[in-house]
Amino acid sequence: MMITVSINGASKRWSIRTGETLLSVLRREGYLSVKCGCGTGDCGACTVLYNGRAVNSCLLLAAKADGAEVRTVEGLAAGDRLHPIQEAFIDEGAVQCGYCTPGAVLSAFDLLSRNPSPTEGEIREALSGNLCRCTGYVKQVRAVQAAAERMRSDGDA
Amino acid sequence: MPEDRDYAVVGKNERKVDGVGLVTGRPKFVADLVLPETLHVKILGSPLAHARIVDIDVSEAEAMEGVVCVLTHTNTPPTRHTTAGQGYPEPSPYDARMFDPKLRFVGDRVAAVAAETESIANEALKRIRVEYDELPTVLSIDEAIRDGAPVVHDEKDSTGIYDAAKNTVADVDIDVGDVAVGFEASDVVVETTCETQYAQHTPIEPHVVLAYLDSDERLVLRTSTQVPFHVRRIVAQTLGLPLRRIRVIKPRIGGGFGTKQEVLLEDIAGLVTLRTGRPALMALTRAEEFIAARTRHPMRVRVKLGAKSDGTLHAIEMEALSNTGAYGAHGLTVLANTGSKTLPLYNKAPNAHFFGQAVYTNLPVPGAYRGYGATQGYFPLETAMDELAERLSVDPIELRLKNHIRVGETSPIFEKLGEGREGVSQTVKSCELARCIELGAERIGWAEKRGKRRPDGPWVHGVGMSIMMQGSGIPEIDMAAATIKMNEDGSFNLLIGATDIGTGSDTILAQMAAEVLGVPLDRMIVTSSDTDITPFDVGAYASSTTYVSGTAVVDAAKKVRAQILEVAGPLLDADPGELSLENAAVVAPDGSHVGLDRVCQRAMYEAGQFQIGATASFVPSESPPPFLANFVELAVDTETGRVKLLHYVSAVDCGVAIHPKLAEGQMEGSIANGIGYALTEEMLISSRGRVRNPSFFDYKIPGALDLPPIDVILVDSFEPTGPMGAKSVGEIGINGPIPTIANAIYDAVGVRLRETPFTPERVLAAIRAA
Amino acid sequence: MHHQMESIERPTSLQGAWDRKAEGKEAVRFLGGGIDLQLYSPATVRTLVDLSGLGLAFIQREEGLVLGATTTMTEAIESDEVGEYADGFLREILRQVASPLQRNLATFGGTLGSAHPWSDVIPAFLVLDAELTLFRGSEETVRVEEYYAQREAYAGGLITKVRLPALPGNGRCAFETFTRTAFDVAMLNVACCGAIADGRWEDVRIAVGGTPALATRLRSVETGLVGAEVTETSLGEASAACSEAIEARDDLRATGAYRRTLARQLVHRALLDVAGLKKGDGA
Repeated sequence: MMITVSINGASKRWSIRTGETLLSVLRREGYLSVKCGCGTGDCGACTVLYNGRAVNSCLLLAAKADGAEVRTVEGLAAGDRLHPIQEAFIDEGAVQCGYCTPGAVLSAFDLLSRNPSPTEGEIREALSGNLCRCTGYVKQVRAVQAAAERMRSDGDA
Repeated sequence: MPEDRDYAVVGKNERKVDGVGLVTGRPKFVADLVLPETLHVKILGSPLAHARIVDIDVSEAEAMEGVVCVLTHTNTPPTRHTTAGQGYPEPSPYDARMFDPKLRFVGDRVAAVAAETESIANEALKRIRVEYDELPTVLSIDEAIRDGAPVVHDEKDSTGIYDAAKNTVADVDIDVGDVAVGFEASDVVVETTCETQYAQHTPIEPHVVLAYLDSDERLVLRTSTQVPFHVRRIVAQTLGLPLRRIRVIKPRIGGGFGTKQEVLLEDIAGLVTLRTGRPALMALTRAEEFIAARTRHPMRVRVKLGAKSDGTLHAIEMEALSNTGAYGAHGLTVLANTGSKTLPLYNKAPNAHFFGQAVYTNLPVPGAYRGYGATQGYFPLETAMDELAERLSVDPIELRLKNHIRVGETSPIFEKLGEGREGVSQTVKSCELARCIELGAERIGWAEKRGKRRPDGPWVHGVGMSIMMQGSGIPEIDMAAATIKMNEDGSFNLLIGATDIGTGSDTILAQMAAEVLGVPLDRMIVTSSDTDITPFDVGAYASSTTYVSGTAVVDAAKKVRAQILEVAGPLLDADPGELSLENAAVVAPDGSHVGLDRVCQRAMYEAGQFQIGATASFVPSESPPPFLANFVELAVDTETGRVKLLHYVSAVDCGVAIHPKLAEGQMEGSIANGIGYALTEEMLISSRGRVRNPSFFDYKIPGALDLPPIDVILVDSFEPTGPMGAKSVGEIGINGPIPTIANAIYDAVGVRLRETPFTPERVLAAIRAA
Repeated sequence: MHHQMESIERPTSLQGAWDRKAEGKEAVRFLGGGIDLQLYSPATVRTLVDLSGLGLAFIQREEGLVLGATTTMTEAIESDEVGEYADGFLREILRQVASPLQRNLATFGGTLGSAHPWSDVIPAFLVLDAELTLFRGSEETVRVEEYYAQREAYAGGLITKVRLPALPGNGRCAFETFTRTAFDVAMLNVACCGAIADGRWEDVRIAVGGTPALATRLRSVETGLVGAEVTETSLGEASAACSEAIEARDDLRATGAYRRTLARQLVHRALLDVAGLKKGDGA
């Protein structure tokens, strides 16, 4: 079947199998930032934004993305200007191996788009579906705090 | 005392060289290279823990449309080798075959199918008909060493096994003085036995390799590995291929922690490519990552301590029984490390005895895992120290301060116990452990909180501590090399075999080179872990990268600096010996200077042309230990047994931190992993040897909501033998949580836990039994 | 990927959706968020009936609360209506279910239909005396407790909404769950609602789930408590009785014996919470 998806702001038509996951389709179509870590919705490495919400793309039927807006980290930077969340992840040392990073960045994006001044508890809750084995989450939390501060002062959304 | 250091690049939190690509999701990982005609390879795993293959019929699978190649023991090289990624000759037995007619654990490799798609490959696995002759199993250490136990490795062609008939892979026994006499002469003796569980590293990226032939028909293995050079050598050995026909490239990988210090997939994928001419992608599923990758060695470790009434340790005995699963990879070396990275910490005891065995079982295969035996050893050692402190009525901190090794001191254990053979004698040249203890105790509020058992509803609060050391590489065995070449814009290519597995070694090694060359970090272009292009490095293990690879980098940079100054001399009309490098320029005493770009242009095009560049190698003669003091405040729910961590403090001496945030990151990540190992992680194995919980749904690692505030304090220190004063720090943090938490639980509720993980059920049972 | 799935249809009426299901039986499955489809669907499913075009995503205040079946957990958490219902009781439960990533997809219809025995939402619905509405050619409303007691009789029906009655003025609710890590399913959970008047239990409802069986109301214990004085003794006895009453078994998460211990502790804490007497949390 064919689906029409707005991916990182661009409209695309893709041929998919009925029972396929969005993870599988996105990787096939070249969005390689979206990773597979478990395939069962437990690790969050496959996180994408679906109509603005962070979801496990390994659990989302690609068919449900028909007519939807999907965003991956490939679509976050504006030219060579990184999004504040991306900058903060680098500056705070929150990126080690980087495999969980795209997913964590998108979960943070979802949070900050709705809650520009989250508490530490709210940040941890927003990241709770993104498992990381490298960082212990300490610098990821700091990165989200730093990004929030920068976005508030920049007036970014 | 730490020397005066005024570093320009080292010690700064530079932006990681691969950071931008990772946050923008650039295709940097193994499976992000998509090649046409790629075959997908899947493994058929044994359903039985111990069996011989009587007959295997792959005809139906082979006949399936889309199936291109099926591999079994009947059509693959039978070469015995070890999968352990260690230096040659590897101190692990050659007890593995690519495909073996005998299967030794549930998940052991029966066959592999290469097909056009993953689903065709998976479907084909179901069409392989196997007749098994089921054999009796050994499913625990005790069963394995019993008289008349079934023999896991009864084949004639395996080598390097200590006593195969008794399922014993390795046997270690070293002593100093005479512990029997020592215990007799002690005023107080305590003894404890602790057991640790099967746990898995769970890197978020499972093992994966893409094999393909390049345009010169050489086999390229693009693989998620910690040990590219060992992969090349072992695959050459296994496939019977000249090593020069193989190129191994490690791109970005999604975590290793030791499970990727192993050659698990590359030989199979490589063989598929050689036989079909097509690229072969082979990835483990998450379930296979649990079942058939590598795990922690479960161990039973007994520690006996004897002390004089003034608190000085007089005798230490450690006995370790290690379950090394169905294959012996890392069996000897992890066992040896259990003693070699723990006992020297308390070097004052004139009598010490370390002995133990690593035994085969028909269970999932342990391998290298961050901490590498020290993690298992510190559990009984640091809990026994606490028990000793209680018997002597002294504060646990006081007992540690009295007994730990100090600068200028040595331990006979360094020499007697190395990586599976004798070690190397060394004297400690940096140790800020006392300061670590002081800062950590203050941060946790030790004096105010210890012994108070503050109640809060059903909860009781407690604090605990522990100290430890690790190492920085393997002396006289590890070798690292680095090549630096200069470009005419004043930039440098840094070619290093050293393997960045997310640790940031590309960045810190570039920082070290930049420091010596007097340039900002962005003048360094890093290429790492490509066996065709980068010089040798053993890889990322044994906490070797900062200290060993770092020294090679610094040495190479110094050679290049000398060349630069020689070329620049005539340009500045000065003696090279008086010149220095600063801000990407060569500077003369009178202040005149010339840019590095100008210097390189001269050498490349103008006069006495040569390529400014150098290679340096380094083999360490010692392994300076980082030191660590851990503290935790927790609360125990006496009605449910739940343990809630409230604050975890780690004060670490890793010499100079080349990149403080990356050093902290190593600590924070290893602590989080250690906390999971202490509280929630456990592979559950059925009575038939099957892993019952091979998923994140039922094997619980800490998430962002599960951890207390973690405070890492990098204590000011300087290691004189280390590059820029650095020691390594990659492993030590993971050793802390188990004993620290155990000691804090005792402080809170007066029970000693001796079996991990400290699940609520176990803790409650211990409270009720007390 | 589920290779046997052939088609997805998006009907615009309940009748259309139901007709498709009635005709296709086991080969047809209703699609809400799709999580359980990915994780647990049987190999017989060929056709998916997407419910997103049926207008079932809504939250209404209506003598209590009505949640449309395709409303996601996140939509519920973020709504004022759910925030105000029973002092935020349901919202606090929803906030700790699975992960935010899954909550962004998981629907109430899916939760009720899949009836995972570890569900945190179902015990809450049981003690709230919730009712669900399902469509099988026509609409029927049945108490959630009855729906699970007679699963066979209601099998295949399309759940359209669930109604949570308003609590009486003196009604309070509490929820306790016990997991290994935060992102985990319960090894035991307890939901409790109660109303106290003049120091006595006027009404009390207790459901224990994840035993590992699906939650049920512990009617015998409830009956025993109604009318009794709210004292440490009566709470203790009730907790002990709950511990005995549940069907506790071993599984990967916990042993049956430990579950009984937990049941006792968690019921006790929930009752204390409802009575306004809860103790410390170890912070």
